[in-house]
Amino acid sequence: MNLLIESWDILVSGILRGGFYALMAVGLSLVFGVMNIANFAHGEFYMLGAYAAYFALTLFHLGPVASILAAAGLTFLAGAALEKACFYPLRERTRKGWVMNTFLVTLGISIILQNTTKLVWGNEYRGITAYWSGRVDWLSSMSISMDRVAGFVIAMGVILAFVLFMNRTQTGRAIRAVSQDETGSSLVGIDLNRIHTLTFALSAMLAGVAGACLLSINPAYPTMGLNPLYKSWFVAILVGMGNVGASIVGGLLVGLLETVTYSYVGGGWQDVISLGIIILILLFKPKGLFGVKGIKTVLE
Amino acid sequence: MGDMQPHDSKATLLRRLADVGLPPVGLAFLGVLLLVPVFVQDEFILRLLISALMFGGLAMAFDFTAGFINIVNFGYAAFWGVGAYVSALLVVRLGWSPWLAMPAGALAAGILGFLLGLLTIRLGGIFASCMTWFVALALMSTAGNLVELTNGHAGLTTPLLLETTRNWPYFYIILGEVLAIYVVLMAIIRSRVGLAFRAIGQDLEAAASSGVDAVRYKVMNFTISCAIAGLIGGFYAHFIGVLVPQVLHTSHTVEVLAIAYIGGRGTIWGSLVAALIMVPLMEYLKDLMEFRMILYGLMMIVIMIYYPKGLSGAWEVIAARLRKRRAAGGPQPEPLCLSSTPAGDPAHPAGKGR
Repeated sequence: MNLLIESWDILVSGILRGGFYALMAVGLSLVFGVMNIANFAHGEFYMLGAYAAYFALTLFHLGPVASILAAAGLTFLAGAALEKACFYPLRERTRKGWVMNTFLVTLGISIILQNTTKLVWGNEYRGITAYWSGRVDWLSSMSISMDRVAGFVIAMGVILAFVLFMNRTQTGRAIRAVSQDETGSSLVGIDLNRIHTLTFALSAMLAGVAGACLLSINPAYPTMGLNPLYKSWFVAILVGMGNVGASIVGGLLVGLLETVTYSYVGGGWQDVISLGIIILILLFKPKGLFGVKGIKTVLE
Repeated sequence: MGDMQPHDSKATLLRRLADVGLPPVGLAFLGVLLLVPVFVQDEFILRLLISALMFGGLAMAFDFTAGFINIVNFGYAAFWGVGAYVSALLVVRLGWSPWLAMPAGALAAGILGFLLGLLTIRLGGIFASCMTWFVALALMSTAGNLVELTNGHAGLTTPLLLETTRNWPYFYIILGEVLAIYVVLMAIIRSRVGLAFRAIGQDLEAAASSGVDAVRYKVMNFTISCAIAGLIGGFYAHFIGVLVPQVLHTSHTVEVLAIAYIGGRGTIWGSLVAALIMVPLMEYLKDLMEFRMILYGLMMIVIMIYYPKGLSGAWEVIAARLRKRRAAGGPQPEPLCLSSTPAGDPAHPAGKGR
């Protein structure tokens, strides 16, 4: 009976953790699928989202939901601006070596954003105790803070809204069309520049929401983005890039895997174990766990 | 610059040196470097130059992979760190001589590179980068977790290579190492193997269909590059005297990468020159703290978008101009095709705006 309770606890906390990996991975995957950019600055939007929510909450005294919305809006704008400033000129200049070049540009963006934040707001942690006070104790034997549950619900809601947007709206369909065939989409009159900007902005927004939701657990500080960044890369490699639906499952899986490692092997080893598993997957299923035709995988 | 006298044996010697990658300009440069410790007594400047040479060596070997077979080894610092740790541990735990342990560190990094290369090279470029990156992250946490072996984050005290407190002997050792690395890399680049590397980097499918065994060459390239990182790592361990897991951190990879790209991809020498400029420059800008890193980032973006050939592109333009002037033999009107002489993207001559 004890074992059952213990595994249930691990399952719950793994899923709560994994929801955010999913949210991050969906954005990463989207940009890679549509624009062919391996975004190294994805974690920086997570960081910006956290800062935006923090200031919205403490400086402008907005409510929790409004703060998260403000973070979403700001990171959306930041993403759009960066796309226009960096990738648009690069796209106009040359498409040769695009994947590698854009990867390095995102690396530059990441360095700049991290250090600008450090410069402006310093190296201190800026956190809040809770968006919503109170704890939930009916979920598992441990009581879980209200924030984690609410954050998870928001994350899932955002993912759901995103999936609906991609499938039901004209613009969402246009984005998917571009990811499948760029030339074809421009032939039928889709404005590629607009779609690219929108895609990058959306992806930034998803990361920003994740950062904002987790503010009470991970306080805002300049280099906070690295961890979520490589977690979302784990997920993307696990399930295949550009596979938005599978990213959700992948995120939950990685979250679970980490919680299990954490509770049975000990902290500090979760990266090593996750990596070992990813190597095994790449050896035996190089297209990712849910490799589907038409989805970009590690073999490209 | 060596005088170009019509003397026969001297001319052939110069040509032979140019063939191993040491044209007169390079020789002059080397001469200046050799004389540095004679004139510079300041230990701080010497340490700075040693560090610049280390980064130069790392960036050259990095460029050997990134600029030729078009794979960005994003876990590069880990190979450097593995070389450093293996070498240090052999000395500390097994009592080896550092002189033996350094090559052993290089060997360890090479073997790791070989295995990882076998695993990742068949993946698409960006995924190979990610895999090496993950391995680097995992190695870093391993180095931090194996406290009994590596002393974890408290740092592993490593015996120094020499008993002297002066820096000039180290300077000559690393200079010799870097020179050897440069000559070896240039020799490979100019051989048939190097041709295969270039072919693979430019068009993998075309190279494969004309009979180049792409995987073999890529793994070979990757292994060499990693082994060099390990060699420099070994030197680092016995020069700096204390090792922390942070040596394997991604930020070091980024630094090496930025230097290689600022120098210009696919040139080897560009990386060395860039390191000798950037590392001291960054040290002197240390007071600027974050601005320094922002500058780094900005430079990377601007170079990637507008000057993909980096410093070497600028040099090419200067060299082409000099050659033209010499050929014209006087103040004759310059031909109109000036800007299109260096090989490159015809849409934008590399010299524009420089």
